[in-house]
Amino acid sequence: MSLLERVIHPDQTKLWYGEIPIQSRYTVGIAGERFFREIKENGRFWGTRCPSCDLIYVPPRLYCERCFAHLEEWVEVPTTGRVHTFTVVHLDLDGNLLPEPQVLAFVQLDGTDGGLVHYLGEVDPDEVCIGMCVEAVFKDAGERRGSITDILYFRPI
Amino acid sequence: MGRNRVAIVGAGMTKFVRRAQETGKEQAWEAASKALESCEMTLDDIDAVVIGSAPEAFDGLHMKTEYLSDGCGGWGKPVIRGFVGGGTGVFSAIQGWYHIASGLFDTVLVVAEEKMSSCQPHPQGAFITIFDHTTERPLGPNLLWIFALEMNAYMTRYGLSKRDIALVSVKNKRNAADHPAALLGDPHITVEDVLNSEVLAWPVQRLDVSPVTDGAVAIVMAAEHVARRVTSKPVWVEGVGWNLDTAYWTNRDLSYPTYVEEAARMAYKMAGITEPRKQIHIAEPYDPFDYKELHHLEGLLLFDEGKAAEATALGITQRDGDLPVCPSGGLLGVGNPIAAAALMKVAELFWQLRGEAGARQVPGQPKRGVAQAWGDLMQVSTVIVLGV
Repeated sequence: MSLLERVIHPDQTKLWYGEIPIQSRYTVGIAGERFFREIKENGRFWGTRCPSCDLIYVPPRLYCERCFAHLEEWVEVPTTGRVHTFTVVHLDLDGNLLPEPQVLAFVQLDGTDGGLVHYLGEVDPDEVCIGMCVEAVFKDAGERRGSITDILYFRPI
Repeated sequence: MGRNRVAIVGAGMTKFVRRAQETGKEQAWEAASKALESCEMTLDDIDAVVIGSAPEAFDGLHMKTEYLSDGCGGWGKPVIRGFVGGGTGVFSAIQGWYHIASGLFDTVLVVAEEKMSSCQPHPQGAFITIFDHTTERPLGPNLLWIFALEMNAYMTRYGLSKRDIALVSVKNKRNAADHPAALLGDPHITVEDVLNSEVLAWPVQRLDVSPVTDGAVAIVMAAEHVARRVTSKPVWVEGVGWNLDTAYWTNRDLSYPTYVEEAARMAYKMAGITEPRKQIHIAEPYDPFDYKELHHLEGLLLFDEGKAAEATALGITQRDGDLPVCPSGGLLGVGNPIAAAALMKVAELFWQLRGEAGARQVPGQPKRGVAQAWGDLMQVSTVIVLGV
C-alpha cells in the first residue's frame, strides 16, 4: 500500500472502539509491606542488607538479586540523600503546559545502594544540580496511607 | 544433527494459592531459589535464564519479562521469555532445552510465574480480548464459551456423558490432596459433587474447571557433563515438540486435537518412541478442564480416539493404574497459575522419575514420562518427554 492510500480520515473506514476491561490490584509484597508500613506509621525508611554482597537495598527486597540470598537483616536508613540525576518537566501527558515546571529526580539515599525516584520541592528548578543534598518531606502522619506519595517530595538541605 | 544431551537436575515451586501477598518477583525468587537449592547450585553456576509467563494483563504490567527478571535470577545474564499462552510452561522447558542442546550454554534456570489474582474483577477481563475484535467480541463472549463448545463437540462425537468426564476431576482433585503445594486437593470429592456444581456454560460446570491461581515453579537444566557432576539422578530430556493449528477456532476439528498429535509425534520421534502406550509410563497432560485431559491423552496417542474416558472409568489412569495420569493432581487439583501450572507438570515428572514424589509417588519405578501443555488461542500444544 502506498503512502497515498493510507487512512487519512479514520471515520471513512469501518472501525469500532473497545477496551480491555481490566483493573489491576497490586500487592506491595513481603518486603514492600514493611517498607510502606514504616513510612506510614513512622515516617522512616528501612532497607534490607545482603551481607555477602555488602549491599543495602532501598526500597528493601526479600532477596538479593545478585546472589539470591534471602535478605533478613533490616536496617533503618537516612531519609536524606543526593540528587543522582534530575529532569525538569514542562508538559503534561496531554501535551499541555504545566502551571509550574516540575522537578523529578533520582535520589540516591545516604548509606545505601538504592534510592527513590521522586519530585523535588521548595527549590527553584534553575538551582537544582546533580550532587545536591536533599531530604524527604512526608505528609502529616494522619494523611499517610502507606504509599510512595506519602512522601510529598525531597527538598534541599 | 548434533545436539548436546540435556538433563533436568533440580526443581522447586511455591505453594499454589488463590491470592498471594508476594509480588510476582518474590514468587519467582522463591521457586527459583528452591530449584537451585535442590541441586546445591547457586546463581553463579547458571549461564542463562528462561522466563515463562502468560499474558501481561494478569500481572497488570507490561514488559513483564523485565519486571520479573531479577526474581528469576536474570541479573547480569542472558534472559529470554517465550510465550505461547497456556502452552508456555512446557515451552519454557523446551526453550531451556535448546539453549543447552545447541551448545550455547551449559546451565539454564527456567522459571515460570503467574499472578492472576492481580487481574480484577476477574482474569476473564483479559481472556475475553483474545477473541477476534470484530467478528466475536461484539457478542460478549467469555473464555468458557470455547470450552463449552469444544466439550460438547467432543462428548457428542464419542457418545460420552458428563459422568464419564467428571471422573477426571474427581481423580485429579483426590490426587492433589497428596500434594503439599496444592490449592484444591480434596480426598473426599465425588462424581456427584461435580455433577451438582453450578452450571457455568453448559456442559461446563464449576468443578469441571481449574481455579484462578497464583504461583511459580522453576527447574534447573544442565548439559550432560555438568548434570553428571551435580547429581547421580539426572532426568534426561529425550524429546520435545510443539505445533500450532489455525487460529480460527471455527476452522479446526474441536473434537480431536490434531496439533497435540503433531507435537507428540515430533517429541516421540526425537525420543525414539515408536509405541507410546508401552514406552510411556506416566503422563501429565494439560487439564485446565476435565475433558481436556481425555482430549489430550488421545492426541498424545496414549488412547484411541474417544476411549480415554473408558480407560479412566476402568482406573487405568489412577496413580496405581497401568498408565498413571496427572499423579500430581494436575491443574484441576494443584491449581492453574497458567505458565507455572504447566512447568509444575514437568517438575512432577522430574520428581516421579527420581522416586522423590513422596505420597504422590507412582509405583513400579517409572522410567519415562510425557508432559504436555496447551493454549495460545486454544490451538497450540507443547510436549516434552523425560526419561531416566
